[in-house]
Amino acid sequence: MFDLIGNLGLGLAVAFSLKNLVLCLTGCLVGTLVGILPGVGPIATISMLLPITFGLDPVGALIMLAGIYYGAQYGGSTTAILVNIPGEATAVVTTLDGHQMARRGRAGVALGIAAIGSFIAGTFATLLIAALAKPLTSLALVFGPAEYFSLMVMGLVFAVVLAHGSILKAIAMILFGILLSTVGIDLETGEARMTLGMDFLADGIDFAVLAMGVFGVAEILRNLDNVETRDVVKQAIGRLLPGREEMRQSAAPIARGTIIGAILGILPGNGAVLGPFAAYSLEKKLAKDPSRFGKGAIEGVAGPESANNAGAQTSFIPLLTLGIPPNAVMALMVGAMTIHGIVPGPLVMTNSPDLFWGMIASMWIGNLMLLIINLPMIGLWVKLLKVPYHLMFPAILMFCSIGIFSINSEPVQVLLIGLFGFAGYLLAKFGFEPAPMLLGFVLGRLMEENFRRALLVSRGDMATFIESPISAGLLAIAVIMLVVVLLPSFRRGREDVFAE
Amino acid sequence: MTNVARGTVGSRKQVGAVSPKELGAAAILIALAVLGFALSSELPRGTLRSVGAGMLPQALSILLGLCAIPILLGARRGDGGSEEFTFSLRGPFLVLSATALFALTIKSSHFDGWSTPELGLVVAGPLAIIVGGYASPDVQLRPLVTLALFLTPFSLVLFGDLLNLPIPIMPRYVQEVLLAGWSYRGALRLAAALMVGVGVLVLFTGRRASAKTSSTKTPNATAGG
Repeated sequence: MFDLIGNLGLGLAVAFSLKNLVLCLTGCLVGTLVGILPGVGPIATISMLLPITFGLDPVGALIMLAGIYYGAQYGGSTTAILVNIPGEATAVVTTLDGHQMARRGRAGVALGIAAIGSFIAGTFATLLIAALAKPLTSLALVFGPAEYFSLMVMGLVFAVVLAHGSILKAIAMILFGILLSTVGIDLETGEARMTLGMDFLADGIDFAVLAMGVFGVAEILRNLDNVETRDVVKQAIGRLLPGREEMRQSAAPIARGTIIGAILGILPGNGAVLGPFAAYSLEKKLAKDPSRFGKGAIEGVAGPESANNAGAQTSFIPLLTLGIPPNAVMALMVGAMTIHGIVPGPLVMTNSPDLFWGMIASMWIGNLMLLIINLPMIGLWVKLLKVPYHLMFPAILMFCSIGIFSINSEPVQVLLIGLFGFAGYLLAKFGFEPAPMLLGFVLGRLMEENFRRALLVSRGDMATFIESPISAGLLAIAVIMLVVVLLPSFRRGREDVFAE
Repeated sequence: MTNVARGTVGSRKQVGAVSPKELGAAAILIALAVLGFALSSELPRGTLRSVGAGMLPQALSILLGLCAIPILLGARRGDGGSEEFTFSLRGPFLVLSATALFALTIKSSHFDGWSTPELGLVVAGPLAIIVGGYASPDVQLRPLVTLALFLTPFSLVLFGDLLNLPIPIMPRYVQEVLLAGWSYRGALRLAAALMVGVGVLVLFTGRRASAKTSSTKTPNATAGG
């Protein structure tokens, strides 16, 4: 307990330096600014803004990136409420009641309760991360290569279960992602793999390039296919701060959403995406009059938004303690950390405690800042939302190009985001989701490394993966999940959840 | 996303039709599997005791190909077949061209025997915006040009001046011959200022032109800039 307070104290001391506060504020602001653009989700936002953190020291860069992430999340909710366009899967639920509230002239209250709920959830999640970091890190240290491998297999199975649409296609995308990760020089034998003799592929495919291609450029192409019908609320935004009655109505949903989101967020394999869905259906079940839902019930905004933010934050836990990114956003964080010379994992906490705790403390500060800066800036955001898409996407395209070029001054990579974008667009046309591919790509290298190391230690005996009880347990969970998800009855239920 | 789920449920009614979408999906997987296997076939597979560089890519390619089989079977049942399946090449072609033009003009690239000139961000940025902009059917040239003339200097100052990222600003000979005595920052600021100046001019003349047309033709025409 004293440890926890001491550590948080250290973190606050780092995060409260003037420079880091400014960076956190800037991150939140630009994150919201970009995240609010319809059709630009957190992944595209972060990859576009990644280069602006290059000139900073690692602590500052990570604080700013975390700010960008929360800003992008909050921007996505704003767009969901005001325009009915969810920037990413988790914001879908917010559109249901949030946009209805906005159409009834209560946009301000919807945005307000989303911000307040997110702040409360963020506070709780920050404390949870701080409390769990130590024990989980010590757990990570007893993990051998076999356990790591099995954990990642379980994470990927989770990602399959939680992916939209066909399970088989999600599995195929994960395999494809892992296959892409094997491009480049093999670290153990030094052989060039599938590089087609091209120099720029020798280091492997750059993660930022792949992410920006399949999430930034492909998204533009997909949006261009749809005729634009943007339904920015014309009603007055109304007052922002919820009244006493509205606070009373939202208090319990915020608490429940926070807990659900926080727990699901820790799961490897993008559990965070489930949080808002689960919170929404729970609130609907618990409500005295469920028919209000879908027509602007404040609980339908408060619960899912809290769950969303709690999950967004606790998904840092597997990354910071085990070094395993649970979803595509965290995979981008890995990329960013690597650029700054930090290898995410259990050693970060002991080797650079100021970075670790500073980042955790700044998560809380970032949430607080979002609450303060966004409420008065809603007028500006509404103006931004009215920019027509045919002027917005060329700007996004240029920023993506400059962003990716500035990572290592390599024009080929700009060409590659176009090609990956087109590939991602084609895959999406045929019902393949890009998110599992990206996760497979990030975990691929780690998995291969641990797989080979485990076999080396066991002298080629595959039984090593089931001899260790931890590894066997993790694999058993993965198998059970996979079997359950393939059962016809569960499949129908799963389709219903995502169709709602 | 939800369309996929709905499509699967809805299509059970019309058994017998082959879904082009699922067929295409299976074809893509098979193509990827063949490509992956072909590219990694020369690599040593090794043994379980010492895994070679080729083992994982080859195994993954085979698994990827295996995924295609149930999808193919599903396509025959007509899974997901009720959806509309349309393609437009305008968007992908122009967006790809925009990134390609940016890549070829921002910095000089060397190929066997030839190389591209370095034209810098003042050329590459507007090219990407204007060519990319034509991907949308709602395109208008004047707003795009105005956008380019303001966003490019903004990016110059943000990335080059404030963030210190090494981005080529302008065609090399302009910088070396015409602005011989100038520093990187000075040249950057000059270029940015010039672009903003032209941008303001375009905006201003656009307003006047549209004010003229709106006073003569339709009273409620919106400004072009």
